[in-house]
Amino acid sequence: MAAKILSVDDSKTIRMLVAKAFRAFDCTVLEAGNGEEGLAVAERERPDLIILDVTMPVMDGVTMLTKLKEHPELKRIPVIMLTAESGRDNVMHIARLGARDYLVKPFKEDQLIGKASRIVNLPARRGPAAAAGT
Amino acid sequence: MLDYKELAARYGLEPIPDSVTRLTQLLARQDADLEAIARVVSADPELTVRLLRVANPRATSDEEFTIETVEQALLRTGVGCVLLLAMGVPLTTAIVKTFRTMVGLEVRSVHPASVPPFKSEHLYGRIRFSGKATGQIELRMTVPVARRVAAAVLQSPEDHLQDPATITDTVGELLSIVTGNFKSNLCDAGLNCCIEPPQVHLLAQPASSPPAAGGVERLAFRGNGVEVAVTMIVDPWAE
Repeated sequence: MAAKILSVDDSKTIRMLVAKAFRAFDCTVLEAGNGEEGLAVAERERPDLIILDVTMPVMDGVTMLTKLKEHPELKRIPVIMLTAESGRDNVMHIARLGARDYLVKPFKEDQLIGKASRIVNLPARRGPAAAAGT
Repeated sequence: MLDYKELAARYGLEPIPDSVTRLTQLLARQDADLEAIARVVSADPELTVRLLRVANPRATSDEEFTIETVEQALLRTGVGCVLLLAMGVPLTTAIVKTFRTMVGLEVRSVHPASVPPFKSEHLYGRIRFSGKATGQIELRMTVPVARRVAAAVLQSPEDHLQDPATITDTVGELLSIVTGNFKSNLCDAGLNCCIEPPQVHLLAQPASSPPAAGGVERLAFRGNGVEVAVTMIVDPWAE
């Protein structure tokens, strides 16, 4: 079954870039604009991987990660933090909360795919969409 | 037990520059005197020139400096300001790296006077940071440049970008990345602070002048027909 990947970022630009990065692979990318929306989508869709920003309005990524890890049915979903914040204390705190991996913005598509493919199976997409790169 | 060095290696994180660490350690000491700080600054010619530029805001060239020594400049700006100036190095690195990685464009730091002021309509972005260090990072670029940059980031033809919100969101995200990297360096230097979401909008005329107190450093970047102006404004330092 195709992997479900949830991208949680308040920036539409980043959500578009994440969706585009996974277009060549047989997977579904879901989107949320903040941690609160992210938790709701995670509960409803049970994604295989969450790509999570830190600084967001309404609910930030650290709070969402904390709540996710407290949730008995969601706590095993692996999370890759995708953030511009690389401060030592933040990284340590987020690692302790249970983030699987950490990717610092600015980032390249292949870095994101490399980290994601170590967690979920990403077979190449077949069909016209893959051929057109769309 | 988590070890930061192991984590940093695993995650591919870049450490804070040594010069910033040295200054932070020195400034954190209660007994650090001006001479000791001046010695560290003087050992870095680039930092020295940038400090003198901040201390001589009316000078249009380095020959017009009336404050000529590092000690005089430190007295004028406050010792805390020099740490923020040292942060200008990683800020510059963050801007160059962000444009290279996200935009696919090589920009290089140029003298701020070589980029003409934005007198007509342009895109203006701002992110404030507050905490042990308080201030803001501003970014300016012309509308055509913003459109070109956004198209490059989104890998979309420029004429497909009809929605101005897409352009402002993209520029805002670039600014967020740069400021997020900058904030991380501040935190690593012991200056814990938070950043606010970016505010990006069209300005019909030049922005109002920055506050006279505190430190203001102007940076400019150019590459392949793209010119970007960045201003780092640091509020008066709470010594």
